[in-house]
Amino acid sequence: MKSINENLQKQALKMLEGKEVDLIIGWEKGTDLVKTTPVFVDTPEKVNRLTYSPFAVTNLVKYLLDYQNLGDKIGVLVKGCDSRAVNRLIQDNQITKDRVVVLGIPCSGQLDPVKVLPKVDPTADLTGVEDKGDSFVLKTSKGDVTLSKKEFLREKCFACENPNPVVADVLLDKEVAKTSKNNDYADVKALEAMSVEEKNNYWNQQFNRCIRCYACRNACTACSCRECVFDMHEPYWVSKKTTLNDNTVFHLTRAMHVAGRCVDCGECDRVCPVDIPLRKLNQKVLKDIKELFGTPTPGSAAETESALGRFNPDDPEEFM
Amino acid sequence: MNKVIKRDQLVAALDSIAAKYQLIAPVQDESSVLFKPGVAGKDVVLDAVNSTVSPKGTFFPQWETMYTYNMAEADFAVKHPDQGPDRVLFGVRPCDIMAILHIDPVFIGEKFGDFYYEAKRNKTTIIGVSCPSVAHTCFCSTFGGSPTANKGADIMFYDLGDKFAVEVLTDKGKAVAELISKFLTDDAAAPAAVEAKAKELAAQCKPVDVTGVKEFLDGAFEHPYWVELSKKCLNCGVCTYVCPTCHCFDVVDEGYKSEGQRIRCWDSCMAKDFNLAAGGHNTRPSKLEKVRNRFMHKLKYHLDRYNLAGCIGCGRCSQKCPVNLDITQVISDVKAVK
Repeated sequence: MKSINENLQKQALKMLEGKEVDLIIGWEKGTDLVKTTPVFVDTPEKVNRLTYSPFAVTNLVKYLLDYQNLGDKIGVLVKGCDSRAVNRLIQDNQITKDRVVVLGIPCSGQLDPVKVLPKVDPTADLTGVEDKGDSFVLKTSKGDVTLSKKEFLREKCFACENPNPVVADVLLDKEVAKTSKNNDYADVKALEAMSVEEKNNYWNQQFNRCIRCYACRNACTACSCRECVFDMHEPYWVSKKTTLNDNTVFHLTRAMHVAGRCVDCGECDRVCPVDIPLRKLNQKVLKDIKELFGTPTPGSAAETESALGRFNPDDPEEFM
Repeated sequence: MNKVIKRDQLVAALDSIAAKYQLIAPVQDESSVLFKPGVAGKDVVLDAVNSTVSPKGTFFPQWETMYTYNMAEADFAVKHPDQGPDRVLFGVRPCDIMAILHIDPVFIGEKFGDFYYEAKRNKTTIIGVSCPSVAHTCFCSTFGGSPTANKGADIMFYDLGDKFAVEVLTDKGKAVAELISKFLTDDAAAPAAVEAKAKELAAQCKPVDVTGVKEFLDGAFEHPYWVELSKKCLNCGVCTYVCPTCHCFDVVDEGYKSEGQRIRCWDSCMAKDFNLAAGGHNTRPSKLEKVRNRFMHKLKYHLDRYNLAGCIGCGRCSQKCPVNLDITQVISDVKAVK
């Protein structure tokens, strides 16, 4: 991981000094060992704050939306999963490709901060990370910690579709081999196998906890509406009450609205403060779309057509 | 504090309370720990340092009906809902009790009283439980709190492992303590054990120094620091909704034809419509104004208004922020940027 970090800072410095970009959106060290935090590097002096580690979990592509109406040229750091969102935003005309420089990171998995926290001293400084193939060795100011990937990776990384970015102007390291299994949608299949009543009970239990903070929406790269229905008063589509009914309307509406545009980066799932398994919901929609239309995960390629953004007379209509 | 209750007697004791009062206590909901009303003793969990969402909803629920109306009737048939039974709020950590004390003057002020908050506050007996350990994000000591503080509790339970030392602090507390008196035994060593535990835990709080922060913020409204800081904020409401002191609310009428209800619900300075006024003007339109408002409110405005800290150091926002926008970092940053 040392080479990625050296290369990252070297490239960033070159791009800023050469005025190739006005800003680079990356990660820097967070307030404890298992966290990183987004950093906005617009001068060569800030370049040394940029870092990459298996805790670089945030999908930074979301921030491109903050700059869509400005003239700046933006460099953005992406892992494979995040990179699909770059393609999606460009396909949706949210931003044009000539305004974005993608710095791609081949990723061999992200560590789950919740799983790792009990194994480390969170106040220690992370001085380096070694990728040993099956495990990561965290070099910290209070000793080394070896974490097996099997045990400590984020759930989504076990079925990673794109360990290497699907779009990158600069690749910051050698491509990595795909080692994880293909997504077999086992979680979704388990839900599909339930009776209607069981499914209902399962999702009621989840949605009951929702506090409607909208972190899932705000972290989502597919949520790019200038005005969201859940912020509207006239008409007042959904009540501000956090009843099970209103929470359910929120989650199902959002799942349907991002259908065909969700790139399966898993940010909704990660940011939920009460751990609602939102990725399962979005994966069900994703799986259905793949089966019905034979299209890949949205954003997988620059030229992928959106399954729900076009119409063919022979489209399946089995629910009609 | 010479009385103790054995840990294995706790469920029975809580059930004795639940027989007479509505018991509100932290329970496990999958991976979250949430305060819920009407729980049984066996469901109460006390191993999490902090509940996922603070217990402020006991007095200031995420949403509540203020009144129902029917405009077809002569007097509009305005009815205020009953404010519920007498209740015992059990398992509140010292920082969360401090938070209640710090938002009391917002709702129970000299000039304005809030019927809904006050009624629920009066109907509630608070049993605090000291922290079993200290999370790495805890910094209550910064604001004069401690993992074993009893201020604001009617009864305080001090966690001593296999037992709790019990201290009855108010008349309200006495009435509830009588219900569990048969579970209490004398233990002359308890006060010393509590004192030792207090020392041990206080030393583990994250050292965060707010000296000079308020004075700096007094003149920092236009400081460029806010521009930098706010860039990473997603403007979701996690920090404000898990926070034990955030108390902004919105009032909405929900009705159909002539009938309806006026509801009050939590609002968040992160929300798009928070400062949206009639005519479409928004006084806090972007990330910059929203983020600045949140930290100014926590570290300056609440002090200006009530001479009480707007943050009590529970660390929930630091733990839950999706992008690690951490208030302890803000505190150390503003001291450095002066």
